[in-house]
Amino acid sequence: MLAKLTGWLLLGIVRLLTGAQARWYGCPPKAEQRIYFANHQSHADLVMIWAALPEELRSITRPIAARDYWANTPFKRWITTEVFNAVYVERAATAPASAAPHAKPAEAEAPPLPTRAAVAAQAERIEPSMEPLLPMAPAAAPIVDVTPEAFDEVQGRLDLPAPPPAAPAAEPTPPPREPEPAAVAAASGPDPLAPLVEALRSGDSIIIFPEGTRGHTGEPQKFKSGLYTLATMFPEVVLVPAWIDNVQRVMPKGEIVPVPILCSVTFGAPIRVDEGEERRPFLDRARAAVIALRDV
Amino acid sequence: MNQFLRSLTPTEQVAALFLIVFGLLVVVSTTAFFLTFRERRNPVHDAAWQAELAHYRKLLGTTWFMAVVFWVGWALGETVATVLFALIAFFALREFITLSPTRRGDHRSLILAFFVVLPIQFWLVATARFDLFTVFIPVYVFLAIPVASALADDPSHFLERNAKLQWGIMVCVYGTSHVPALLLLSFPGYEGKSAFLVFFLVFVVQTSVLVQHVISRRTQRKPFAPNVSRSFNWTSWGIGIAVASLVGALFSFITPFKFGQALAVSVIACIAGSMGHLVMKALKRDRGIPNWGKKGVGVTGANGLLDRVDALCFAAPIFFHSIRWYFNA
Repeated sequence: MLAKLTGWLLLGIVRLLTGAQARWYGCPPKAEQRIYFANHQSHADLVMIWAALPEELRSITRPIAARDYWANTPFKRWITTEVFNAVYVERAATAPASAAPHAKPAEAEAPPLPTRAAVAAQAERIEPSMEPLLPMAPAAAPIVDVTPEAFDEVQGRLDLPAPPPAAPAAEPTPPPREPEPAAVAAASGPDPLAPLVEALRSGDSIIIFPEGTRGHTGEPQKFKSGLYTLATMFPEVVLVPAWIDNVQRVMPKGEIVPVPILCSVTFGAPIRVDEGEERRPFLDRARAAVIALRDV
Repeated sequence: MNQFLRSLTPTEQVAALFLIVFGLLVVVSTTAFFLTFRERRNPVHDAAWQAELAHYRKLLGTTWFMAVVFWVGWALGETVATVLFALIAFFALREFITLSPTRRGDHRSLILAFFVVLPIQFWLVATARFDLFTVFIPVYVFLAIPVASALADDPSHFLERNAKLQWGIMVCVYGTSHVPALLLLSFPGYEGKSAFLVFFLVFVVQTSVLVQHVISRRTQRKPFAPNVSRSFNWTSWGIGIAVASLVGALFSFITPFKFGQALAVSVIACIAGSMGHLVMKALKRDRGIPNWGKKGVGVTGANGLLDRVDALCFAAPIFFHSIRWYFNA
């Protein structure tokens, strides 16, 4: 009851400040199972896209929230679980966790190892904040891509020091912190994608931000491969690109009071993984689909 | 009829005005409804005609909304009317800012504009502090906004950014706040009827804009400033002003003015309004958009609001100050 009231209040505030317009180009708002993937510029993205969805879809669509940002105070925790019905994903703590189960499949494919140092350096840019794009977990299911490169991406996204140079995949490091039992119910291990897989298995739609971190410029960064992983695991789920416009102006980093500026969320035509399509080309195509919505 | 209307108390007269407006709306809406109904069952006209009808129905919806809003504002008193115009100012400024590029450093100034300047201005109106409310924005805010900007430590495009914000506040907040301020003007023998003055201003200005638009559509004259507006030319502008002022003069019985005075204030309001509309068109052209609001898609109902109120934003202060000066109201 309280959650519902808060939801309405929040919706009212968001509409008053931003308009929270949904523009459906390319697909209608429809109650089918979907993965919405959008650009990421601000903490408020989660709230924006939640507010832009029509009432009926809002109840079956779960946004992704990084546990270390959205669950660090009791109020944020309450609002994300009760009002947004969000799926928590681990960010920092899961790096070694994803490393462990990674071992065997990685060796099976074994493409040339990319430079880990470069990726690790990239990690320092990332601020400790909401990173709804979870580390994509190679171990989620046997079908997913588990190349060392993919692993590096996981690593690069995390606020952890780079693992020892010795092939981290071989280390049987135990997970330092277990995700909440409820969140990982379906997964075999402490896999960061597990909560998402769980949500999708139970028939919910989800909202993810494949850039992983908030961008500083207008251009979205390269997409991380979690999207590809989920898309190949759930081929029947419709992938809808979305462009969230103007949100960074409402509340720039470091500000507390939002400013009223009209924002919109544009939903584009669904895309799908083509037969035999590789991970990188698909992710680039997905990113292009999101960027293309900027100018419609 | 006229005798009967004059015998009514001011409140009854305003109520009668609303009755007439709502009566007309009911008649038009019913006609539109039956037309649509007939077309559904037995289409006679082509697609273009259907689209036109749909367009008119939408316009009718907006008119209903506006009429109800005005009625609620009047029925609940001056305070509610002031709050109503404060909301309009808020939405208009929101649209204006959305389409004027701002930088990170403007954030605090924007907060100041939306959450401090706007409420204070309308509070000054509601409490009838005329001396302060006419100078609050041009004098005090004029300094406060650039100070907030300067403290944000971002000098790039400083003048441009601040000029835009000042301008937006002048048009959207200062201009709009003069409409409810009309409610507080006091003319001898005209107590309780100030709602007519607001109606008079809105009606006259909208008529001039509408007539001008229709005439320029019909006659297809050469536009005077084609880079700014494809429809503006002096002939249709003149006709628009003349027709609207004449209508205004005929409506002088609802105002405290005599026929000639009503004609004069109508001319002033219409010139200010239509020129303001043209100015806003130039602004829109510069931003490369046909309409205010987000890419022409209206879902929230607040979009394109500035398109509808821009003429009023410019006309209201001039109307207000000219009659306050001349009539010493």
